Amino acid sequence: MSLLVARGLTVSATIAGKTVQALRELDFALAPGRMMGLVGESGAGKSMIGRTIAQVLPPGFRVSGGSLTFDGRDLVTMDARSRRDLLGKDIAFIPQEPLSALNPVFTIGQQIDEHLARLGVCDRGERRERALAMFDAVHLPHGADLLTKYPHQLSGGMCQRVLIAMAFASRPRLVVADEPTTALDVTIQARIVQLIREMQEKSGTAVVFITHDLKLAAQICDEILVLYAGRPVERGPARTVFASPTHPYTRCLQLANPNLSGPRRALHSLPEQMPGLLGQLALDGCRFAPRCPLVEDACRRAEPPTVVTGADHAAACLRAASTASIAAPAIGTVPAGTGSGGPLVTVDAVTKRYALGGGFLSSRRHFDAVKGVSLAIARNEFVGVVGESGSGKSTLAKLIVGLETPTAGSIVMGGRDVTDGSRLARQARLDTVQMVFQDPQSALNPRRRVASIVTQAMEAGARATTWDERLARARELLREIGLPPETATRYPSQLSGGQRQRVNIARALCTTPKVLVADEIVSGLDVSVQAQLLNLLLRLRDEFGFSMLFISHDLSVVRYLCSRVLVMWRGEVVETGPTETVFANPQHPYTRMLLAAVPPDDPAAAWNPLDEVERLTA
Amino acid sequence: MSAAAASAMRILPAWMRSGRVIIGLLIVATVVACALFAPWLAPHDPEEQDLLAQLLPPFWQSGADPLYPLGTDALGRCVLSRLIWGARVAMTVAVIAAFGAMILGAILAHVAGYLGGAVDWTISRAVDVWMSFPPVVLSLILMTGLGAGVRNVILAIILVDWTRFCRVLRSEVLVIARKDYVAAARLVGFSHTRTLLREVLPATVPLLITLLSIEMAVAVIVEAILSYVGMSVEANIPAWGQMIADARREIHHAPWGLVLPILAILITVLGFNLLGDGLRRTLDVRLNQTREG
Repeated sequence: MSLLVARGLTVSATIAGKTVQALRELDFALAPGRMMGLVGESGAGKSMIGRTIAQVLPPGFRVSGGSLTFDGRDLVTMDARSRRDLLGKDIAFIPQEPLSALNPVFTIGQQIDEHLARLGVCDRGERRERALAMFDAVHLPHGADLLTKYPHQLSGGMCQRVLIAMAFASRPRLVVADEPTTALDVTIQARIVQLIREMQEKSGTAVVFITHDLKLAAQICDEILVLYAGRPVERGPARTVFASPTHPYTRCLQLANPNLSGPRRALHSLPEQMPGLLGQLALDGCRFAPRCPLVEDACRRAEPPTVVTGADHAAACLRAASTASIAAPAIGTVPAGTGSGGPLVTVDAVTKRYALGGGFLSSRRHFDAVKGVSLAIARNEFVGVVGESGSGKSTLAKLIVGLETPTAGSIVMGGRDVTDGSRLARQARLDTVQMVFQDPQSALNPRRRVASIVTQAMEAGARATTWDERLARARELLREIGLPPETATRYPSQLSGGQRQRVNIARALCTTPKVLVADEIVSGLDVSVQAQLLNLLLRLRDEFGFSMLFISHDLSVVRYLCSRVLVMWRGEVVETGPTETVFANPQHPYTRMLLAAVPPDDPAAAWNPLDEVERLTA
Repeated sequence: MSAAAASAMRILPAWMRSGRVIIGLLIVATVVACALFAPWLAPHDPEEQDLLAQLLPPFWQSGADPLYPLGTDALGRCVLSRLIWGARVAMTVAVIAAFGAMILGAILAHVAGYLGGAVDWTISRAVDVWMSFPPVVLSLILMTGLGAGVRNVILAIILVDWTRFCRVLRSEVLVIARKDYVAAARLVGFSHTRTLLREVLPATVPLLITLLSIEMAVAVIVEAILSYVGMSVEANIPAWGQMIADARREIHHAPWGLVLPILAILITVLGFNLLGDGLRRTLDVRLNQTREG
């Protein structure tokens, strides 16, 4: 008997007078104690399922067809009172943003107490006992102290553990986890995911695990459902779906993700992007048809039926049989930089110290964000910097481009030290480096047109440039980065996330810098968009020739792009060397921990990220 | 609304479509027109005394003289003409004082918010100290020190009210200066001045306009108060506050002499406030986002 069953579930809304479907004909059955991964890119409709279960659909959206039942009771037509009795008790949620899910003005203790009281634990002392036992179950040490803390005093990972503890407190029969690790570091992600799995096994709960990471889902879930533009395109046992996908979209997703072991493969990058709610209306046939490498005329005429492709394995595709033919060839290792003419940028024993609070008369404490870091970037070399948040990666980037001044050490560009703040130093920097920022939303002035943004450097020059000159240069740059020329007169708000990040890159390339400093530039993007951008960077290097300091928390992306890597931990470089050597044979325990935190490329392989964490903290 | 009118509305920028802005603009434009064209609009010389026609009532009451549509005051001067000429003083003070306060406040706010650190600390503390004096007390102290006169009224308003602009704008600048696009502008070679003018200022202009409009309303009131107590214009120049002061003695048998200048002040202030509020609602990007999102 299945616990959660969707039969032809359709969620629609009316936008601009047209009826659009955010979820279309969704079918699945989740048995008790099983874990189902809902995989898809942003906008695929995965969060809509969690919202349908709780009946908190965004304004204008409604369930327009099919049914969703929990233990035989229809969740859609159920009255609010019975639903309220189910939620938080039989059905619990683990949210995406742990910090915003906790109330900042109450202590953790007060919030857990309230939750337990709602669950019917009447005795105050018993609630406290229960809370401490819950902390124990999610491996949170010093439970008694934690009860008196406020959410902002805890890290994101700790908040998420508190929320997991609360979600499992009632021994629910169903837990919906909506991207529970997206806002967290990789090493913490591994722990959180394993914790959810552990709690699920302990209490026999069924879990709907919503994620964009196919590899992660394959590793921890029992079954997977892949969504594309609101339509389920493939479902089946987790490992089978990952090892031998039968829908071209799943296959492309898998090939768009760089691997961390084995030979380096070219990334399969899908053209364009997933159609939005209104864009889907223009498609009569398969919604994936415009981007599908196997598309044929029949795909565009009618929506493909779901075909069974194996045991419990089905895909909505006419060409499911030939999906395996989509392949990405192995390519050699990343070419190292060309050493001629010495390094372009030399960072020597640079330290950045920040004063921390400290009051009147009391001694000031300080904190070294970057401690004695040295590195050199050769011509045409892509150097990766990896580490968790707080490891000093971003501060290092700011020091190099000149947004921060080092406390000690030197940075040499074009033969001179550029840390003295002089006019000449600024010029030497302008001639050598440019930065690509992480968040294109914040990095692009919403009041400027794209052409004005990408040619901003021409505005700063001594010679006045005409708008026509700038427009011409902008068109040239847009062509290079693969955007249509009419984008030039648009505003950033009219572009998609991936397009904005391209504009961001184009601005940095306008003055043809020798070195690009890129801070987490693909981290907020979907896998298929990420693959497009990574391939774009490699192509641009072949065309223009530039070096790059590529900062990322994603080791597999660094392996795909960089010939050399620096591992940063607490402001220091703990390991450095050729990427392949470092990743194949890590020496420092921190590097080993980072590597272990990434789900293995083979879902059948054992994944024990916690062992390495314990070794490091021991 | 017809389809043609609807499409015509779409061409107009959003702020022109707001009812508040339109009404506010109409009122403000009327007052400004009175101020600019007073010599041609006013039926009489505002200082011309007709001692045979003292305290005439306005036209809707019996005994009114069609020569003086809104009646006359105790010296037989035309109330309508005095109201029209009074708009001159009110608008001069409103425009110059509000712009002055804005320029002083905005420059300091941008410098403080953009540069941060010790500069920000110094400017912010100066604002704190300044704001710890009640504005009425501060302006009276200033007026006592500076002496009476329109110029000093303007100066006093600027010196008291620049802090309003400074405090509100500084926090706005602080948010914008932390945006990556401001850092990016520096990295492509923009000087600090250019970054401030080209990247930060365009984002604060909507707020600036809104504050300016509200400040004009404040300036009208302050000028009225100061001319009421005789600290503003000389006695031979008509001003609304002065008219109220003059009409005090006849409040029982000629209340209109008091009510009309008060109405003039009220409507002008309402006009500026409607305009400011309407602009804030339509120009503030964040407000629009929350409404649409």
